[in-house]
Amino acid sequence: MSYDDVEIEDMEWNQELQAFTYPCPCGDLFQITKEDLRLGEEIARCPSCSLYLTVIYNMEDFQENSNKKAEPPKPQPVAVA
Amino acid sequence: MDEEEEQRQGVWSWGAGTDGQLATGSLQDEIIPRFIRSLSAYGPIVSLSCGGAHVIALTPGGRVLTWGRGTSGQLGHGESVSSSQANVVKELEGFVITHVSAGWNHSGFVSETGAIFTCGDGSFGQLGHGDSNSQLYPRQVAYFASKPVEQVACGMRHTLVLLAGNVEHPVYGFGSGKRGQLGISTDNVKSTSLPQITLGLENLKIISIHANGDHSSALSADGSLYTWGRGFRGALDTYIPCLSDVAFPVSKVALGWNHALLLSREGDVFMLGGDRHGALSDPQKMPSTADTSSSAGEPEENITQIISGPANVKVVQIAAGAEHSAFITDNGSIMTLGWGEHGQLGLGDTNDQTAPQVVCLDRISAWGDATPRVYCGSGFSFVLMTRI
Ligand SMILES: [Zn+2]
Repeated sequence: MSYDDVEIEDMEWNQELQAFTYPCPCGDLFQITKEDLRLGEEIARCPSCSLYLTVIYNMEDFQENSNKKAEPPKPQPVAVA
Repeated sequence: MDEEEEQRQGVWSWGAGTDGQLATGSLQDEIIPRFIRSLSAYGPIVSLSCGGAHVIALTPGGRVLTWGRGTSGQLGHGESVSSSQANVVKELEGFVITHVSAGWNHSGFVSETGAIFTCGDGSFGQLGHGDSNSQLYPRQVAYFASKPVEQVACGMRHTLVLLAGNVEHPVYGFGSGKRGQLGISTDNVKSTSLPQITLGLENLKIISIHANGDHSSALSADGSLYTWGRGFRGALDTYIPCLSDVAFPVSKVALGWNHALLLSREGDVFMLGGDRHGALSDPQKMPSTADTSSSAGEPEENITQIISGPANVKVVQIAAGAEHSAFITDNGSIMTLGWGEHGQLGLGDTNDQTAPQVVCLDRISAWGDATPRVYCGSGFSFVLMTRI
């Protein structure tokens, strides 16, 4: 059973891991690579535990022939004070 | 530290340890409570706050010690490295720190004079400095320069602040607001890197604030609980603090990533949400806790009583990890339940538990009748025992 469903835009790109990540309750990170996404994989796994996430994304955004860069929008902190 | 200090306080840790968060000097998980020699050369630790994989400790003189994951600067030592040993945060040495909070990868510190400092991951604006930079040293949040702060609560990607004194707007939020966890607008505000007023708490006497995962809550002096952010048990997210429909005055609150623990004034423990608490590793095993009767006025049966004080046992303290829970009873027992895959329940195995189990500490007899205090991070736990 999936721990949670998370939209790709809520995941963070981790340069070091070369993967999109999201916090895992064990303290480590759920991870999924661009290659995984290209192949239509929707499960992000944590290397430290048995839990996994379901990633919600549009597969077309990650196809090789897509002209768009396969980066989700970075969270843009907006000050609305 | 001298022998006398060592005898005044016992510290035990267990659970996930790969980032040094257990302060054992190693990076291993511990499935039973591991006794650690006193962490502090400055006297017995007064309190702890445990985050995603780091810990902040307060000493009697208002000094701050940190250890665990430091990759985003959350330890405040000016570098982005982890440490499995406690180190004093030198940058804060000129201040008497009275309140601290450890989030997923960020940290908050409040001084006696009401100044607030943050460090660590700032990607979502959760440090409150008006940008999305991370900070390797604690940096004062300028917004509160003329608004004295009393408490800080750090969640996964957001931060709440409680102002000191009686003010019209007691609570502020900053960082990610995607799930409504800032309570600053009925609209979906993705994030703010500058503090904004949390609505719906006007002129209330708030005595404590709490944040974990994408949840937020505040407790008022009369025992009313307000919650906002991610909905519990599949309920809709709440963008403005909402008075919780709890049929009793609440005395303490602890938030996880999918559950909230409420301690009643009578010493009973209730759980909000947490429908998979203790059943994460084995989904077949849905919680069938001691008493699943819902409290009056909760049609969704969102509240479960998990410890119904047997005649003369009361719970005096509660703590919540991301997916586990811990309690201290008035007879000094430590109890845990929830997800156990990393040994975070301290029961000697990696099983989940849907009902509270008693944790055994070695060497505990040396502390006589001292009352233990328990603290939980995402996947780990700490106990302090201090001789008075
Ligand atoms: Zn994990």
